[in-house]
Amino acid sequence: MNDVLLTIILIVIKLGLVLGTVLSLAAYMVLAERKVLARMQMRHGPNRVGPFGLLQPLADLIKLLCKEDLIPERADRWVFMLAPAISVGTALLAFAVIPFGAPLQIFGRTIELVICDLNIGLLYLFALSSLAVYGVALGGWASQSKFALLGGLRAMAQMISYELALGLAIVPVVMASKSFSLTAIVASQQSLPNALRHPLAFLIFVIAIMAESKRTPFDMPEAENELVAGYHTEYSGMRFGMFFVGEYVNLIVLGSMLTVLFLGGWHGPFLPSVGWFLIKILAVAFFFIWVRGTVPRLRYDQLMAFGWKILVPLGLLNILVTAVWLLWRG
Amino acid sequence: MSLWRDIKGTIQPFWVTLRYLFCRPVTICYPEQKQTPAPRYRGRLILTRDPDGEERCVACYLCSAACPVDCISMQATEREDGRRYAAWFRINFSRCIFCGLCTEACPTLAIQMTADYELATRELLQVVYEKDELLIDGCGKNAQYNFYRLAGIGVAAPRGANPGESPPEDIKSNLP
Amino acid sequence: MPTLIIDNLTVTVPEGTNILEAARQLGIEIPHFCHHEALGSVGACRLCAVEILAGPVKGIQMSCMVPAKDDMVVDTCSAEVLAYRAQVIEWLMINHPHDCPVCDEGGECQLQDMTVAGGHGIRRYSGPKRTHQNQNLGPFISHEMNRCIQCYRCVRTYQDYCGGTDFGVLGARQRLYFGRFNDGPLESPFAGNLVDVCPTGVFTDKTYRFKSRLWDLQEAPSICPHCSLGCAVIPGARYRELQRRRARTNKRTNGHFICDRGRFGYGYVNHPDRPRHPLVGHRRVTWQEGLAALQNKLQELGELFGAGSIGLLSSSRATLETQFLTKRWATSLGSDQVCFEAHPVRDQGARVAASQPLDRSASLEDVRNCDLAVLIGADPLSEAPMLALALRQAARRGARIVVADPRPVVLPMACERHAVSTDKLARLLRGLSRPQQSALPASLEELGGSLSQALLSARSPVLIGGTDLLGPQGILALLEAAEACSQPEHPCRTMLLLGGPNSFGGALLSADGPGFDSLLEGMEQGRIKALLCFEADPLADFPDRKRIRAALSRLDLLAVFDCAATATVQEADLFFPTTAVEESTGTLINNEGRMQTFEQVLSAGTPIAESAGGSHPPRFFTRDIPGTDPQPAWGTLGALMGRCADLGALRREIEKADARFAGLSLLDANGEGRRIAIPRSRPVALQPAVANAVAPDQLSLLVTETLFGSELLSSLSPCLQEAIPAPFVMLHPQDAMRLKLEEGKKVTLATPLGDLTLILRIQQDMVPGVAIVPRLRGTALESLVPGSEPLPCRIEKA
Repeated sequence: MNDVLLTIILIVIKLGLVLGTVLSLAAYMVLAERKVLARMQMRHGPNRVGPFGLLQPLADLIKLLCKEDLIPERADRWVFMLAPAISVGTALLAFAVIPFGAPLQIFGRTIELVICDLNIGLLYLFALSSLAVYGVALGGWASQSKFALLGGLRAMAQMISYELALGLAIVPVVMASKSFSLTAIVASQQSLPNALRHPLAFLIFVIAIMAESKRTPFDMPEAENELVAGYHTEYSGMRFGMFFVGEYVNLIVLGSMLTVLFLGGWHGPFLPSVGWFLIKILAVAFFFIWVRGTVPRLRYDQLMAFGWKILVPLGLLNILVTAVWLLWRG
Repeated sequence: MSLWRDIKGTIQPFWVTLRYLFCRPVTICYPEQKQTPAPRYRGRLILTRDPDGEERCVACYLCSAACPVDCISMQATEREDGRRYAAWFRINFSRCIFCGLCTEACPTLAIQMTADYELATRELLQVVYEKDELLIDGCGKNAQYNFYRLAGIGVAAPRGANPGESPPEDIKSNLP
Repeated sequence: MPTLIIDNLTVTVPEGTNILEAARQLGIEIPHFCHHEALGSVGACRLCAVEILAGPVKGIQMSCMVPAKDDMVVDTCSAEVLAYRAQVIEWLMINHPHDCPVCDEGGECQLQDMTVAGGHGIRRYSGPKRTHQNQNLGPFISHEMNRCIQCYRCVRTYQDYCGGTDFGVLGARQRLYFGRFNDGPLESPFAGNLVDVCPTGVFTDKTYRFKSRLWDLQEAPSICPHCSLGCAVIPGARYRELQRRRARTNKRTNGHFICDRGRFGYGYVNHPDRPRHPLVGHRRVTWQEGLAALQNKLQELGELFGAGSIGLLSSSRATLETQFLTKRWATSLGSDQVCFEAHPVRDQGARVAASQPLDRSASLEDVRNCDLAVLIGADPLSEAPMLALALRQAARRGARIVVADPRPVVLPMACERHAVSTDKLARLLRGLSRPQQSALPASLEELGGSLSQALLSARSPVLIGGTDLLGPQGILALLEAAEACSQPEHPCRTMLLLGGPNSFGGALLSADGPGFDSLLEGMEQGRIKALLCFEADPLADFPDRKRIRAALSRLDLLAVFDCAATATVQEADLFFPTTAVEESTGTLINNEGRMQTFEQVLSAGTPIAESAGGSHPPRFFTRDIPGTDPQPAWGTLGALMGRCADLGALRREIEKADARFAGLSLLDANGEGRRIAIPRSRPVALQPAVANAVAPDQLSLLVTETLFGSELLSSLSPCLQEAIPAPFVMLHPQDAMRLKLEEGKKVTLATPLGDLTLILRIQQDMVPGVAIVPRLRGTALESLVPGSEPLPCRIEKA
């Protein structure tokens, strides 16, 4: 009985820690993105609120909370209000299965640094990222605006297409580690990260998560020069803020996935495992921002053609090669 | 060759943005640091005086006619000595787009642009400037120019006394 | 009918047309300064040069001086011509003072346009500029001689067209000076036209000095409301202030020019004393409150005394729409007590005048083209100034002008004068109906007979009469005389001068309705309890001031709808402001029966110059614009009758209701107007005038209109105040000698209305035994109204 209670308490503590960290990380990710982009363009970026603009996320939050929450007259009210919650909820739920550190030994108790170590964690992740499409699609549809609808449609098509490539890129990893459990996958990379073991899969995966997170150069759903703001054109106030936060939480989730599946998870010398995990996530995030500061947006047909005609065949080929190699190695 | 170029073309921009990440920003932090505008910067409008210290503006309505946003209005009137001047002169800087067409239209060089760009205020009427706020005590640009010394109608100088004018004719004489 | 080719376009023009006008018919505007449609060509400015490639003359020629001939081939913009014109412009600009920013002509200056068009930008000539001293030309015209380009338009207008003698050209070669010999106000009442004709800024409107630029003015085609001729004008307004009037071209009426009364009489619109709010008693109320008070009172009176107790009075200042709705409203109230003129003589006179056959009614154009004009009891300069100008044009073509009048009628040209006293005008008219030959007319009948003979033999004669002196009988006699002097191939036309801009409309609508004297009787007897005045001023217009004042004070309700602070407005129980002519749209019918519409120039409102107190406009913003209460009288009447204020619908209704106004709804304010379709029936039952007996030692007092100061609206104009003369009395030298009075001295005029101290003027051309005083509003002569029976009076040294 006591054990169960302790487990529950531990889970609650882990939940709180993870939730707090992820949300504040997301908030500062926004600031970091703005700062890094600004410096890449020889600007200062936000520097008015607090030292070096460090309180900018707080100011943004206050601003968003204070703004009027507009609901378009002809919008589908309930769906309209639900959509941002789906978007941010799926992103947060995904974190449940991500192992963010090596198991800790405290008072003789082994504490797994993962909220819930599912043996099919990978499938759970995929299920949630597929569900995330609903937030975007419903938001776009419920707005009763052509921009939002087009943005939602684009997001749906794009996410479903690249999910395929994403899935195909992971198959070799699973084949090699012989488990769907993320903890097991991390454990299998102790000697060599999967990125080096499966470079093609890694490349496909990086590109696919970039498309999955709807970021430049794949930010067609919210291409501001053609669709105003895409699926969240009609959103304002904290509802818009939820889409926004959801996007950055998603960025962290995808970064964690990349870390877990290809960059060796928490493994690394000298530093504590959680530290390595964080560093790897931040490095991935920086890379994403860097790409945004460098690469222009693709055209929509290029994006779809690239997904279906290059990434998917490449992914299949990669599976074939990996299978042959595994068979040959026995 | 083409493949190599494509790869280079994909990689090189990353290097460029990374390099710029560590460059000094060119933006200045405005209220603390102030930029010195160029000499011909088009900022707040003023009305200048001629070298004799009189108002240059003759309220000819050309600036208000030239103004694409209709932000200038005035009423001309006459002084006892026949000098035409503006009874009132109003520029609504909340409308002004600082295009400078009024200064180009001004035949007496009265309306000129300054380098002052700090006009922002929360009170709308504070940017509606009347003549006493617009008129300065100096000549501004082209300090030597005095319209009435070039226009031959005898306001600044007696009739026929401006440079290049002969004295008034005696109309009652038939002598050649 | 020569046919020629101009710029590769073929045109056929009447014989004698010059190339400049022929090109204009093709829509090609050849630049020019000195040519003017009304003044003709002189070839002074040298700007209208064209190249004639083939024809009787060849090479570069002045297009205004070369009549169009068959087979001519003209190039208006060959390279050589353009260079020539550019050079001419450069020469013209040699002495120009370059002061466009302070010149009122800027923006509407032909010299500016031509200089820009000619491509002249930089002065190459370095010699000195000639300068001139300016003159003070009176309250209307500013003079700036340095701007002159010697086109002679001013002299040709002032001397040739308008017949002024005090202005001309002095000096020689490049020292030419256009002005007076000495400083002083220009004497011609048409001097204002110098402003319109001068192609540069030598002559500008002094009353408009430095006020606006053309591009800032709100302008619209309008009609001058200051006499019955209905001249076409273009008023200009800015900042809720009417700032000037200029002439519009209507070839049927005024041609290209207007008189100074019309040009400078606009100031009444901006008058600071103009009542701009509805008043109950003298308390300011809203429109709703005012109209409710009016309707309650009318209902109360209607219930107590019947609808016949309500009298309605409109005036010759009111538009046709207002007059029509006044009548409609009277009908709907059930009252037949409606009339359209407070002056009984003018009312009856206009009714007779409105019955003249329309094909015989002369327009100003007909007057300009006549070869004999006989004026009986008409003083054009005072009663209808532009008629004098039209008569001068006829005289310049060789027409004979005969004036028979007790007054010293001044015309801007030589004419035949016969001093005939008022009571003898009837005898003259009687004579006019019986043509006879007599070389030396001994009696008035014989004079009439010889004139009648002349009228019969003239090609296009015009008989002109004034309502004030002739009265309804006289006008009837004049119409009969015109009939007697008419021949089928060249009828004798008539022109009758009426009291106001829309007297004709009132006369048409009044049918056989009561005159104001019968309304007055009703008021005196207590039958009429309420009088509603629509732009009418009975207190000032009815000849007997005492009687009308007593009658008005008996009324239970005096409601006045007006745009000026008239005497009646002061007495009104209820007052409602109406718009001035320039502030609304409407129709006026001039003295020949021409319906002319005018358009709105500005919206009613207190001028910014007034509401800002001379300083800059207020620095706060409200939705309310001060002084916007005035409504068109027809709009208010419509509201009282519960109709919507749709002018188009109203005009269609007027057309439908009365066939005489056919075509009203099709009128274009920019057009020439349209004569009414049918004249009214001739009124009957004219009571003969009873002459006041004049004792042998007494003089008979004749009150007449005068150019400035008689007409209500223009007399309110601040710009005209300087031109309004000090009150004076005119006497024949015989009488002056008998009474031992001297010219220019103060005299006392003793009349039944009281004693007046006036300045004496001795006039040769008038009849003896008569003292003539002008009607001058706002002076001691205020209560004397023209068109009334001559009063006995005495004159003594003051």
